[in-house]
Amino acid sequence: MEERGFLGKLAAIVPGLAMMVVTLYLLKQVVEPWLAGVAVFGQKGYITKSIGLNYVLMSILVGMAYRNLLFRGSIPGWAAEGFRTTRLFIKTGVIMLGSLYTIQSLAKVGGLAIALIVAFVFGTIFFVMWMGKKLGMDRSMVGVMGAACGVCGVSAAIATSPGVKAKPAEVALAIATILGFGIMSMFITPPIGRALGLSDYQFGAWVGTGILNSGQVLATCLSFNPAIAPGTAVAYGEIWNVVRVISIPFVVFFITLWYWRGEAQEEHMSLWGILKSKFPIFVLGFFGMTALSSFDMLGKEGSETLHMLRDWMAWIFGIGMVGLGAYIDFGEIKKAGGAPLKIGVAAGTLKLVLSLVIILLFIGKEASF
Amino acid sequence: MRILLALDESARAVDEAVKLAAERGSGLTALFVQDTTWHDYLGSDWLSGSNARGGYIEWAAEHDMREAAGLPELLREKTRGIDFELKVASGRVPEEILKELASGAYDLLVMAQPFRRGLEVLRDTAAGLIPKLPCSLYLVREQKD
Repeated sequence: MEERGFLGKLAAIVPGLAMMVVTLYLLKQVVEPWLAGVAVFGQKGYITKSIGLNYVLMSILVGMAYRNLLFRGSIPGWAAEGFRTTRLFIKTGVIMLGSLYTIQSLAKVGGLAIALIVAFVFGTIFFVMWMGKKLGMDRSMVGVMGAACGVCGVSAAIATSPGVKAKPAEVALAIATILGFGIMSMFITPPIGRALGLSDYQFGAWVGTGILNSGQVLATCLSFNPAIAPGTAVAYGEIWNVVRVISIPFVVFFITLWYWRGEAQEEHMSLWGILKSKFPIFVLGFFGMTALSSFDMLGKEGSETLHMLRDWMAWIFGIGMVGLGAYIDFGEIKKAGGAPLKIGVAAGTLKLVLSLVIILLFIGKEASF
Repeated sequence: MRILLALDESARAVDEAVKLAAERGSGLTALFVQDTTWHDYLGSDWLSGSNARGGYIEWAAEHDMREAAGLPELLREKTRGIDFELKVASGRVPEEILKELASGAYDLLVMAQPFRRGLEVLRDTAAGLIPKLPCSLYLVREQKD
């Protein structure tokens, strides 16, 4: 393969990245303001506010159209490197989101988030293990589906697969199932949230607990309310997301332990080893930003610095959302099937419905944030 | 002219290709492609660190290599008396098949449908190949799980 220098690599990123930036610019600055002015049923802003077709949702939809219609299923070579920066944009955005909290506010909401996440993560894993046994599914696939449905979809699936010796072809099917369910949740939860009159706090807590894939939690929260500030859906949903992310290495350890206890041959492993290799280090950046915010080092609420930071975040996430959409290939998702699909749909639906019931019964509209 | 057999998990496709080669008295080449498209497929996964992602891609590659390791002996056993060779490539499966066919040495491609190798389980490998094939195609139907 031809090796490229730094400038060559940078140049390879430009076309795809430019496409994402121009797309977002047009959607955010031209299309959304225009849609907001269109009157439907005699009401201006009906499309953007009541239906929720804001720039975030449009970015995902246009990204999906690029992949599935314009590119016919695979991102072409000239744009591939640019679209690959999606990961960088979303990670940077999540680190910056840390500035929406203070240590005190995290402590207030974090306890509830930890309790709900731990209950749902391990509840889902046990459900998948039980259902996998009923369906006579291969133990390694039960492990992968348990992690994928329990914690954060794709990330958890790939973190667990080597430990439980899952076959790549089956991991691919499991991921397709998780992505398919996540995409469906991404489009149905905001209208349900609006119809039930959920507050940003309730909505963030619901999708943060109930949606399988963390990338889609972020997209769903921004689609419900594109505002990025303390007390918005994305601010709450992301606390749940971060707690889930932190739990990945522990879940990988638990599932790997379960898998090898059922095998004749045992494999040596340690929690420390798994923590070292699977811990998502960017979470430390998130907490670093929270620490800066707690000591007012980013300015007081309403300051010019914070205003600018949030404006940047909107652009950074927006670009990430175009890329997120462009990685959704309907042709691949359509191939999901068999036992992973049955388990994924059962566990995903149960998790989404049960978390909504708990939120409606026990979580008030306002958080003491 | 030779037959090209694209290898996946299917034992039926191997048997059919061997049977055809014996009946026609033609040579048989089996092509094993190690799927290297995981990097792109995981592109949307923003959460995992490079260690976890890299660890998985390495695991998937090792798995493919382990599968390939036992193949020469197994295939030689099945193809006794036939002019047989095994080739190994890495890349996107349909592209590697087309590259091999471009040599012009083949008049028939034999492969399983659906084709199960790495991420090809999520793609319709045969449908993608048909418009570009320079030779005939024999699809061996596989039972779905």
